[in-house]
Amino acid sequence: MRATILLLMAMPLLGQDAAKPADAPKQEATKEEAKKEEPKKEEAAPAAAAPAPDASPLPSNESWITGYVEAGYRWRSGIGGSADTWRSLVNLGSGPKFTGTDFTILDPKHRLFERLRVRAYDWGDPWSSLHIFAEKRGLYKFLADFRQMAYFNNLPSYADPTFLIDQQSFDTKRRMGSYDFEMFNGHLISPYLNYERDSSSGRSVTTFQTGGNEYAVPSLMRDTTDLFRGGFHVSGNRYHLTLEEGGTIFRNDQDTYTTKTNPGDNPVPFIGQTLNLGTLSQAYGVRGTGTHSKVIGTASPFSWLDLHANFLFSQPSNSLNYQQYDTGNLVVLSTLLFYTNEQYLVSATSKLPHTTADAGFEIRPFSGIRIQQSWMTDRLHNSASANQVDKFLSAGLTTTTLPQAYLAYNYNQSETSIFGEVSKSLTLRGGYRYVWGDVRDAVLPPEALTTNPSSTMHRHVGLGAIIYRPSPKLSLTGELEAGQSTGEYFRTSLYNYTKVRMMGRYRLTNTLRISGDFNYLDNRNPNNGTSYLFRNQRESLALDWTPKGDNWTFEANYTRCDAHSQISYLVPQLLSPALSVYRDDCHALSGFLNGTYRKIKINAGGAASWTSGSRPGSYYQPLAKVVAPVNKSLSVFAEWRYYGFAETFYAYESFRTHLLTAGLRYTR
Amino acid sequence: MRSTRVVLLLAALGAYASGAAPSSKESSKQLGAAAHKAGTPFGDDFAGSSTCQMCHEDIYKNFRKSAHTFVETDKRGGWDEHGCESCHGPGAKHAGSATAEDIRNPLKLTAVETDKTCLSCHLNTAKHSERISSSHMKDAVACTSCHTIHGNGPAGLVARGAAQVNSLCSSCHKDVAVQFAKPFRHKVPEAEMTCVDCHNPHGSNRKAMVQSFAANDVGCVKCHGDKRGPFTFEHAPVRFEGCATCHEPHGSSNPRMLVRQEVKSVCLECHSNMPAVKTPAVGSPMGVVPPAFHDLRSPRYQNCTVCHQKIHGSYADRNLLK
Repeated sequence: MRATILLLMAMPLLGQDAAKPADAPKQEATKEEAKKEEPKKEEAAPAAAAPAPDASPLPSNESWITGYVEAGYRWRSGIGGSADTWRSLVNLGSGPKFTGTDFTILDPKHRLFERLRVRAYDWGDPWSSLHIFAEKRGLYKFLADFRQMAYFNNLPSYADPTFLIDQQSFDTKRRMGSYDFEMFNGHLISPYLNYERDSSSGRSVTTFQTGGNEYAVPSLMRDTTDLFRGGFHVSGNRYHLTLEEGGTIFRNDQDTYTTKTNPGDNPVPFIGQTLNLGTLSQAYGVRGTGTHSKVIGTASPFSWLDLHANFLFSQPSNSLNYQQYDTGNLVVLSTLLFYTNEQYLVSATSKLPHTTADAGFEIRPFSGIRIQQSWMTDRLHNSASANQVDKFLSAGLTTTTLPQAYLAYNYNQSETSIFGEVSKSLTLRGGYRYVWGDVRDAVLPPEALTTNPSSTMHRHVGLGAIIYRPSPKLSLTGELEAGQSTGEYFRTSLYNYTKVRMMGRYRLTNTLRISGDFNYLDNRNPNNGTSYLFRNQRESLALDWTPKGDNWTFEANYTRCDAHSQISYLVPQLLSPALSVYRDDCHALSGFLNGTYRKIKINAGGAASWTSGSRPGSYYQPLAKVVAPVNKSLSVFAEWRYYGFAETFYAYESFRTHLLTAGLRYTR
Repeated sequence: MRSTRVVLLLAALGAYASGAAPSSKESSKQLGAAAHKAGTPFGDDFAGSSTCQMCHEDIYKNFRKSAHTFVETDKRGGWDEHGCESCHGPGAKHAGSATAEDIRNPLKLTAVETDKTCLSCHLNTAKHSERISSSHMKDAVACTSCHTIHGNGPAGLVARGAAQVNSLCSSCHKDVAVQFAKPFRHKVPEAEMTCVDCHNPHGSNRKAMVQSFAANDVGCVKCHGDKRGPFTFEHAPVRFEGCATCHEPHGSSNPRMLVRQEVKSVCLECHSNMPAVKTPAVGSPMGVVPPAFHDLRSPRYQNCTVCHQKIHGSYADRNLLK
């Protein structure tokens, strides 16, 4: 019986073609009927014979490879101002640069591939990338994406500003690779495999914090995440199913070692004693694994109904082995215990099952009416435990704590939208979203001022939109979202809010288009003790001008933004209420002129921003580039860039630098 | 008897799943399939792609080099040698009159109608499984706004190069694009990153159509793997409200893309609740005021992350110190 059932279930699958147009003409015509039809086709197209199905898509007189390769040399002027800020923001240097290549190979005989596309950019710079795409339709599709990025960050204003030391600075390199391989793409069943690797390594300056003082110390850090996943798509005429299983392997190591006496940030004697750090050895070792499952299903059982459902589950878990040994003149604040050497050992484990599921449908009961309903739930529960052993060797004291941590997050959402096409040019949308959930965060046993907070939240949101497109020249879109909440997770969470978004596009002439955008968010939490007001407004005006077809184009974009926030808070040392006010008024401008003058391509423009308010400053990034042809396939290029950054309150972080790059470009 | 019913039910389901059921009426009208002659693949209304090629040579050449060329060549799809008419409908009348009114041009249709044409093939795919969550769909942004259906030569149906992708997105999202003129931002203008590295333009079950990692983790941890956890001691807002609680990913005037000009403001705006003040019904906002030795008048306490360095979550310390 089971065999019969399985056979019956398998038969339709075996008999089914790959995904095709839902209403593709049936191909069951007999050969005789097909022969009768042939002359009609020939009458319709006497001069052009229909191509054979496996004919090359590449006309014989076209090149099988197209693309370009570009390389040059860059000179950088001296950095005027802060070299650290320059490296944190831009980080471009002098030297030979492989600025980029982008080429496509179309194999007319479809041997290993039909199409191979390779793109590589910015090799020799702090960030570089390589992308490879190869496809042989019906057999495989391969996509590789590799990027590396040097991440340097050292901003004195981010550390203790008194000592101008490099606390919380990084000099690391991050590498990211993603490799996708899909087989039998376009068939009923297409399996796929994917491997991703994200790794980072480098140096940093971190802080060793212990009672009453903190010490900047050098650190080595390294982390790697490997993701493996595989699955298959089942694609039918009116349904789709994806099943995927995957796993992650995570490693994170951080080592700190110093033998240099370090006075720390606090030079003031504490109860008559000067605190300092003599030696420190710290080692973190985090190892983790995780699994995930993904089920995606869609179906269109009737012309008026579309269904979808997703089920996603992941469960990463980590374990820690931490060892610390330190000497010096140190203190435990809570017990006023002075000590000269300490050993601190921690082992811990954590596990985070995370389930996300959503489902929905779109129903079209009448012409011009669409109703969409969706539900979603997202719930994660982290549970962790640790074993902390602190040995104060000089004092002969050992303390052991066994904290248990628990964090739970449950989010639910239900949304209904109705679309009404009032006319060909006017669409109205209205909807309602209900969001509810609860959170809990607990660490046991509780510490002095910590609590085990929990909160619930219910939010009712009204949605509305108008889309008006009376002609190809004009397009207007307006959206409104207004929410009312009961309960919040954080004082700055969305509470009672209004969001407005408007976009307009108008083609004044055949060569001139203007567009405008307006975004507004107003969020208020009037609850006693919070009194939060946040308003963010952004207006943008853009212009596209193509005075001579595509030979010359000019685009400009101006945006003004205004963010204003105020919230009451408690000053920790006094527990007295105060007001935190933040303002960010910015003007940002970008513009480019592209054109060709006597075969010389010109590209000039750039971007600039000016900010006033809580952190006033300016940032200029103009550039100009010319490309002059030497012959049909070879051209020379030269590019100038300028970076100028200034801050009013942190003037020592400003910089300005010129860059000049020249090189050759080969195009085929 | 019961087993027979099960078998019959499964057989019926299987037959339905195999596509043996009649095609939908609506789509039939839409694609002009009603003009098919009974028992023949194409009716008199259809001209065949070779006829289209005679006048639209450039488009035809591009189309044949594009990924859509299989519509023209793959017999299983049912449109072999009639790829043009799979979207434009029957073309014989247009071939005879050579007038634009006699052919269906998806570019001149409403976004909903254009999408219907594309989705007649592409709807039931993993990529579009979150379509109804997509703000592009909600705002009637047609597939053809981003995709060049005839193919852009060997470049394909949509921009792939990082700079081209960003340029495509910014052609509509101009107010977002210009935020990258600010000093502290992701490397998008440098084309090291693209908008679609973080956002899924086809829809996602996350806010702002953010991508995901390993099934349902937020896409940010694809590059920031060390922030993924799970940590022994979590920092709740990272899990509950996401990275944008403290960071402005598109661009900020503040270091580390923070939402405030200094670290203490970011922290203290939440960490200002007295412990044990709790409304039983709904709880209370999370974030307890720091102990009194955090004297804000001292520069040592201006940047909380100098000490609380594991601010995204700690494996070893409940106060996120190490």
